Amino acid sequence: MFTENVDKRIKLSFKIGGVLLAFVGLSAYFGLHPRVSDVGYRPEQPVPYSHKLHAGDLGIKCMYCHSSVESSAHSAVPSTSTCMNCHKAVLPDSPKLELVRESSKTGMPIEWRKVHKLPDYVNFNHSRHIRSGIDCASCHGEVETMGVVTQMQPLNMGWCLDCHRNPQDHVVPAREISGIFMGAKTYEEVAADWQNSIPTWGDGKWLSEKSFVPGFNGTIMNGWKEEDRLDPKAVAVMKEAAEKGFEGVAFASHAFEYDAPAAEGMFVPKKPSLGPENCGACHY
Amino acid sequence: MKKTKFPIFTTLLVVVFLLFWVGLISGNILWTSNTPPLQVIPDMDVQTRVQPQRLNTFFATRSATRAPLEHTVPRYGEIYRPTTPEEAEEEYRNTLPNNAITLARGKNRYGVYCTPCHGASGEGEGSVAARSVTLKPPSLIAEAALARSHSDARLFHIISAGQNIMPGYRDKLKEVDRWAVVNYIREMQREAGGYFWTAEAAAAQASALEESEEDGESEGGTE
Repeated sequence: MFTENVDKRIKLSFKIGGVLLAFVGLSAYFGLHPRVSDVGYRPEQPVPYSHKLHAGDLGIKCMYCHSSVESSAHSAVPSTSTCMNCHKAVLPDSPKLELVRESSKTGMPIEWRKVHKLPDYVNFNHSRHIRSGIDCASCHGEVETMGVVTQMQPLNMGWCLDCHRNPQDHVVPAREISGIFMGAKTYEEVAADWQNSIPTWGDGKWLSEKSFVPGFNGTIMNGWKEEDRLDPKAVAVMKEAAEKGFEGVAFASHAFEYDAPAAEGMFVPKKPSLGPENCGACHY
Repeated sequence: MKKTKFPIFTTLLVVVFLLFWVGLISGNILWTSNTPPLQVIPDMDVQTRVQPQRLNTFFATRSATRAPLEHTVPRYGEIYRPTTPEEAEEEYRNTLPNNAITLARGKNRYGVYCTPCHGASGEGEGSVAARSVTLKPPSLIAEAALARSHSDARLFHIISAGQNIMPGYRDKLKEVDRWAVVNYIREMQREAGGYFWTAEAAAAQASALEESEEDGESEGGTE
C-alpha cells in the first residue's frame, strides 16, 4: 500500500511503540504497588531527631518515648515534655533543639511529619501486637539504625494478611531495645514460642489461603464453599471446635489465652497466636 | 559494505538500566523520597474525622489532641495528690505482692524509664547521664545511698512526682508499675547488702495509715 520505505518505518514505529507501551504499563502496574510507592518514604522532620543516636547509641528503649504503645491502639509520638526530661540537662543550649525549647515554653506542639500511614478505616491496634511479643521492627524496620526514619514495609492489606497467615515467617520477636514486657519469660523464650508453640496443619503452616476462615462470631464467611476451599485437617479441627461453641480455637480472634495478671491493673503478655485472620474481626 | 560493530557499550547501558528498573519496580531496591507516597485511588484513606495526634487546623494548637480542661478527673487511673514525701508516706503504702512476675515487671519498667540515667545496675552510670555535665544521678544501691534509707512510699513519691532535676514519671508509669519499680529497686538493694528501711518500719507505717483512715472516717461521720 505504501512504499517499501514508509512501510518499514510504520512497522518499526509499531514495534518501538509496543515496547514502550509495555514498559510504561508494566512500570505503572508494578511501580504503584505499595511495596514500591510507599516503602522508602523518608520525610525530613522539623527537628533533626536521630533514632540512631538515641536508641542505637544511647540504648534508650523505644517505650521510653512511645510509652502509650502497650496500653493504647495509637502509639503516641512523645510530647515535648518527654524531650525536656533529658534535654533540660543534656545539651540545653543546642541550636538544633530551638523548636523543642520553644514548644516547651509555649505549649504549641511540634508538627512532626507522619511516616507510617494506615488508611483511616483500618482498626489497627498497637497494644495487641506488643502484648503478643511482636517487636516494633516487624513493621517499622530496625529504627535504632536509622538517622531519619524510613518506611520499610508496604503496610498494605495483603502484607498484613501474609503475616496473619504465617506469622512464624515474618514476625520479629520482642527485642531488648523495644522494652516490651513478656512476663517472667526471656526474649529468647518468646522467640522460641513464635517458632514452636503454634498449632500447624496441612503443609506445616498455620493457615494457607485455602484454609477455613471463621467469622468473628464463629460463623463461616459468606461465599466460601466448604468442599473446595477447606484444608481437610482444618475442617476436622473446626468441626470439633464448633461442637464446643468455638471455645479455645487457636486462631479465632475472640479466643486468646491470657494469664491472670500478677497484680490488679498490671500488664499481661499474651501467648503467641494468629490473631484475627478474617476481616470481620475488626470490620464488623 | 562497511562492517558494523556490535554496540557493546549501548547494550551494556540498556541491560544495566533494565536490571535497575526491574529491581526498583519489584521493590528490591530501596528508593528513598521526601515526598509523600502517590495515591492513585485514595478511596476513603483520609477521612474528615478527628484522629489522635493528627493535624487539625480547627484548634489553636493545630492538633487534634486536646489538653484536658482544668479540674478534669480521669475516668480510669488515679490523680496523684501528694506534693511532699511525708504526704505520700501518709497516703500510700506498698501492697504489691513480691513475686517473679511483679519483679520482672519492675525490672522491665526500670530498664525502660530509669536506666538512661540511673544505669542498669543502679549505680548512676546511665548512658544519658554520661553525656551531661549537670546530670549526676545518685546511686540507688551504694553504701551511703539515700535511697536505701528511704521508705517505699518515699521512693514511690520520687518516681511519681520527681525530685530535683528528675522529672515525675506518673504520666508514663501506672501506679502498679511504679510500685513494681520500687520493689525492683529494693531487690537490687537487697543484693547489694540490704536496705535500712525495715519491715518493722513498714508495719508501723501501715498501722499509722489505718489509724488515720479510721480518724478520717469518724471525722467524715461527724461532719
